[in-house]
Amino acid sequence: MSAQMRVGQQRTTWLIFIGLCLFTFINLTPLIWAVLTSLKDPRDAFTIPPTIIFEPTLKYHIQVWTENDFVFYLMNSLIISAGTVFISVPAGSLAAYALSRIPRRSAGPILSALFTIRMFPHMLLAIPFFVMGTFLNMIDTYPLLILALVAINQPFTIWLMHGFFLEIPRDLDEAAAIDGCSNWQAFRIVILPLARPGMTVAALFSLLLSYNEFLFALVLTGTDTKTLPVAIASFGGEDISSWSLSAAGAVGIMLPIVLVMLILQRHLVRGLTAGAVKG
Amino acid sequence: MVRWQHGLWLFFLPSFGLLAVVLLWPLGYAVYLSFFDYYLGSGERTFVGLANYIDLLTEARLWNSMWTTIIIAFGSVALEFLVGFALALALYRLNGSAKVFSVLLFLPHIVTPVVAALFLKWMLASNWGFIDATLLTFNIEPADWLGSPVWAKVSVILADAWVFTPLVMMVLYAALQGLDTSLLEAAQIDGASSWNTLRHVIIPALIPAIIFVISIRLMDVFRFFDLIYVLTGGGPGTATETITMYTYQLGFRMLEVGKASALGVITLIVVAILLLTINRGLNKAYRGGDR
Repeated sequence: MSAQMRVGQQRTTWLIFIGLCLFTFINLTPLIWAVLTSLKDPRDAFTIPPTIIFEPTLKYHIQVWTENDFVFYLMNSLIISAGTVFISVPAGSLAAYALSRIPRRSAGPILSALFTIRMFPHMLLAIPFFVMGTFLNMIDTYPLLILALVAINQPFTIWLMHGFFLEIPRDLDEAAAIDGCSNWQAFRIVILPLARPGMTVAALFSLLLSYNEFLFALVLTGTDTKTLPVAIASFGGEDISSWSLSAAGAVGIMLPIVLVMLILQRHLVRGLTAGAVKG
Repeated sequence: MVRWQHGLWLFFLPSFGLLAVVLLWPLGYAVYLSFFDYYLGSGERTFVGLANYIDLLTEARLWNSMWTTIIIAFGSVALEFLVGFALALALYRLNGSAKVFSVLLFLPHIVTPVVAALFLKWMLASNWGFIDATLLTFNIEPADWLGSPVWAKVSVILADAWVFTPLVMMVLYAALQGLDTSLLEAAQIDGASSWNTLRHVIIPALIPAIIFVISIRLMDVFRFFDLIYVLTGGGPGTATETITMYTYQLGFRMLEVGKASALGVITLIVVAILLLTINRGLNKAYRGGDR
């Protein structure tokens, strides 16, 4: 490569770098703006031009978690997310393990069938859940929403775990079988310990999915089981006068997610393509 | 080994049992409901055969929502693909510092959709929103971003792109990293321009990933609900009422659960047809185009 070409390439790389910096900054404006608003008193929040020089206050962050029912909604969100994970991940892992161990020609159709389930409009599932929930008097109870979330979560968990199990060599199960282990023993003693990191990833993704879910939570919960997304949607959607307060709530809801994301970084692509986060 | 495979099916039992109860049964029940005139408020239901479907398909509101969905779907998926691909290429080129960028660029996607929608709403809110406040500073009269039919559609498309471009970017970036670098080097040695390398080497190699990401995005746009619900609620009027929003109105506001189920089934069929067409079209373009 000639020196001239190399200089040209380096310049392009710099241009790309600067372009990306700019784009990233503009792209994050809504987020930055929300964080700033959550730290502003109303007199700073409603100014033209929008100000970035102000005395920051944590007042609204404290107020939203102490004077409103947000702690209660957080508990609901946590109970429902945890319930979903405890049902979905073990069941999904078992199925995924079996899928990774049967011949490919039988596993293929099952996997594509599961993938097709992604296509179903969630509305088409929300309606029967709502009707049946009304019949069974289960609207506004934890189990109903948990079951609905398991339904949309299960195909995803199986897909994700299937990938992890494929990476565990079959020789291991075979060796276990020769040593006289049953399927179940081989799975529990030999495979499960190796699959634990994968299961942690699947559990975190499922947690994220349930925590973020909105449609089912909106139609299947009421005053007793309302989750954070439903609460913030009705809270921050309309009234602009309590702007700082809703911004503080929204930013608070976002924080644990950012944390989980930093843990999951390495696995993001895999999880996303299997359909994490937004169902 | 035969003995070994035996009994493996037991492992499927919990999961498939669950799926049957919480997924297949409700879906079957929804299809069943779609043949009834069923107002949940009174609990009365009468079998009406295909009447719900015929009603819907002859109704202006359905076609309006279908059209809106198509505009929003194609607008946002096209935007997401172009920007996402450009970003993926940029990240691929940078290599070293790409990690920091990918995490930062990814944030809008991982945030709770409702929260992301609120963030955008506070940007677009009239007068005090960031955009309006900025424009007013320079004495520019801002448009009614969420209140005029045309701008509301644009805002929804941009909002969707804000949330989902990172996904497209990540998938394509991952695919780029899996590229056989010897191909790229060969192209460089042959003196191919970057544009030609992109067209004849990179894009053909990425076709599976491209088909994949466009397909999942189209599926998701058709059923995505959170953003529009928070941003515009389908308004002004029915300007941003997608099929999903309309189904929501029918099922959960008007409690016409039979008709709403029928609309859900129609949506499913439309999405299935769309995906088949796209898969076939892209595959053909790929095989027939580059010789």
